[in-house]
Amino acid sequence: MKKRGLGFYLRIYFRILAQDLKSKMSYRADFIISTIGMIFTNISGFVSFWILFRNFPSINGWGYYEILFLYGFSLVSLTPVQCLFDNNWSLRMYVYSGDFIKYCFRPINLFFYYQSEVFDIKGLGQLAFGIGTIVYSWGRIGLELTPLMLIKLIVFLITASLIMIALQNMAAALCFWMQNSFFVLDFVYRFRDYAKYPVTIFSPVFRFIFTFIMPIAFIAYYPSLVILRPGEVPILSWLSPLMGCLFFFLSYKIWMYGAMKYSGTGS
Amino acid sequence: MASMIEIRNVTKEFKVLNRREGLKGSLKDLFSRDYKTVRAVDNISMSIEPGEIVGYLGPNGAGKSTTIKMMTGVLEPTTGEILVDGNIPYANRTKNAENIGVVFGQRSQLWWALPLIESFRLLKDIYQISDADYDGMLKLYRSLVDIEPLLHKPVRQMSLGQRTLSDILAAFLHDPKIVFLDEPTIGLDVSMKAKIRTLIHALNKEKNTTVILTTHDMGDVDALCRRIVIIDKGKMLYDNDMEHLKGFFGNYRTLKVRAEGDLKAAAEKISAEVPEFPVNADEEWVSILVDESKSGVMDVLGRIQSRFSIKDMQLEEISTEEVIKKIYEEGVS
Amino acid sequence: MNLKKYLSLTRAGIIESLQFRIAMLVMFAGNLLYLTVIYFLWRSIYASSGSEVVNGMTFSDTLIYLVLATALFGFMEMYAVWEIGRAIQSGKIVLDLLKPMPYRRYLFWSYSGSFVVNFFTIFLPTFIVVAIVTHGAIHMGVNLLYFVLAVVMAVIINYSIDFIVGTICLYTESIWGINIMKQVIVLLLSGATIPIAFFPEPLKTIVSYLPFQSIYNAPLTLLLDSGQDAVSAIKVLGVQLIWCIVMTVISKLFWKASLRQITVNGG
Repeated sequence: MKKRGLGFYLRIYFRILAQDLKSKMSYRADFIISTIGMIFTNISGFVSFWILFRNFPSINGWGYYEILFLYGFSLVSLTPVQCLFDNNWSLRMYVYSGDFIKYCFRPINLFFYYQSEVFDIKGLGQLAFGIGTIVYSWGRIGLELTPLMLIKLIVFLITASLIMIALQNMAAALCFWMQNSFFVLDFVYRFRDYAKYPVTIFSPVFRFIFTFIMPIAFIAYYPSLVILRPGEVPILSWLSPLMGCLFFFLSYKIWMYGAMKYSGTGS
Repeated sequence: MASMIEIRNVTKEFKVLNRREGLKGSLKDLFSRDYKTVRAVDNISMSIEPGEIVGYLGPNGAGKSTTIKMMTGVLEPTTGEILVDGNIPYANRTKNAENIGVVFGQRSQLWWALPLIESFRLLKDIYQISDADYDGMLKLYRSLVDIEPLLHKPVRQMSLGQRTLSDILAAFLHDPKIVFLDEPTIGLDVSMKAKIRTLIHALNKEKNTTVILTTHDMGDVDALCRRIVIIDKGKMLYDNDMEHLKGFFGNYRTLKVRAEGDLKAAAEKISAEVPEFPVNADEEWVSILVDESKSGVMDVLGRIQSRFSIKDMQLEEISTEEVIKKIYEEGVS
Repeated sequence: MNLKKYLSLTRAGIIESLQFRIAMLVMFAGNLLYLTVIYFLWRSIYASSGSEVVNGMTFSDTLIYLVLATALFGFMEMYAVWEIGRAIQSGKIVLDLLKPMPYRRYLFWSYSGSFVVNFFTIFLPTFIVVAIVTHGAIHMGVNLLYFVLAVVMAVIINYSIDFIVGTICLYTESIWGINIMKQVIVLLLSGATIPIAFFPEPLKTIVSYLPFQSIYNAPLTLLLDSGQDAVSAIKVLGVQLIWCIVMTVISKLFWKASLRQITVNGG
């Protein structure tokens, strides 16, 4: 069998990406409207945030700029799922119509092949908003800026992004078992809005749920602590890169299992 | 010589949900569900040699797609064994995928938004085709069909015929050992059908590719297949040469006569005269399906002529279509 | 109009949504989890503010408001923009236009079955849970009647807005972009994410002249405000009624004018 390593997959990915962008450019109006829509979403997020904090200057001992940092962190760590795994939203349609089978005949990883087909460029706007927010609140809080801090920030952002990817993979994969999985996907999607709040506001039971079962606390809260409050970092924060990888791996296995199980039944 | 595909006693079962009817039924379904097991493929065995074009036929829901999915490694048989070029396809889907090409009738596997040439380049990377092989294949394609106008057209803008053609070319691009074609000519006009048949034939000749073809169009079968396999309700009905099939039913010929007056009435009288054969009438002809092992066409014609004055007559060999229909209806006894 | 043919669409819709057993279960459980998050989030927000009443709303007022807004959203969201957009792109719209009833009505009644199912699976359980949890903070009196009337009009206004936005899809291929813009605007300006009482004054004034507040804010304030006199309640309902008529007329006229697009473009 021919060898297919990381280099092979990267080359394929960038080739598909380049082609995808080229064809997106041919739908200029759609591209512009979608980008505006995305900007709207972000602005509305900030407006809600601002209205809320006009009335309540702090939440549970967390100051305005600290919460703002969490917000920015969550925006950035939610970007990869938006950009790279957007095809999950179409999965149930492919499965329902039976067109999903076309992905099963190629000699490359099924999950990779499926996800590679769509790159959602709109997500980059969110990335810009997120980075801007992090930089702004970083300065306002007066955190020091060292190379080590930067490396920490980047590593924790990347691994935190795996959590939402994993949740979305699992939600999308449900369509292999049930017909109308849109609600689950939509539900998970709405949940990510709560990733930006400190998990300490919840009662112990829900703190447990959001840490280990629906681990949205790892999207922003735990990894941010490493940067925000370096003096009192709980062990879970240091574990968050591991959690990201673990959940991603798990979701990948579930997705693939569902795909293999399903592909037979549709005609 | 080793077989390209070896299928031994393969059976595939599915669990399907029985839905109840009406508002009450839907409410009941909420709380208790009723599943039944359906056997889509039932103890099938066959072996296919390199370079063969095999027509895989059967009515809708006969189990054709299920068999193909098992051969492509998408489905695992419930019992039995499949070897494709020595590999177990469902145990190693990716490895098997290098050896096969698949075209599924109206479902394009090409990248919808990309011009064909870009899809080809992607496939070149995915299947790791060498530059020389790739150029050779494109050269071959150019000699067979006029692909220039297609190459720079996005797939979504193509007509169904162009898309099917492109899909077939894409399936052969990595020079696979086997190509599965599921209803490749469905929905196409006559000239496009002919074009696609010629292309498949030429590629099979040139590359000695094994082709498994499912179709409802007997024109495809006549033009391409030396051998046919027929299944119905998951069971294998027939597996042999076309020649043999024709020979098997070759004793049948259709005698068409035109008599004076009302054809319906004439048909009834003729039927009384030759009760051993089925008689039908349409607007123009009364047709008698004659089994020559029972009595010769000339004899039948003589018997009819002794009672009626016949204005005109025709003699037709039985068509593949009719043979297949007979097999679906009566089986091979 | 012959009600029977519309009611049979409703019936078909109920049967259709009952097919999706797991989907209903997930929606139900998901909704409860979602409500819990809202509960904890706002409890700690109120705890940090140090006062019982903020902008005239107590914690249980805010909780009831937001929880029921979410339930109303689950109940009212028809995904009509997607429905119309897809029908236009796939060309199915031509078949829908051949139905022996206006498209606007056909779409509404096709969806009405889900209203019935969603009412019993989402809205009613949420309402009961919230009424119990807040120990009778929901006043059971004439305000319930106002609330029901207001919800009916809210459904009509919401549908009309959806239909107007859906009609825009005749002019652009960008369903996603159009839909997200609509959703963001409606959810923010209708007071679905944050009660309008929390908005800063100038924004409050602007919002009061827009139709969106009639969708979520109007029914919910009518329900919560037990001490109001009939006159002010009727005023709110009157404003709703006006928006109801205005939006219905606009959506009908816009659709009629735009339909020429289809006939000109040949679908």
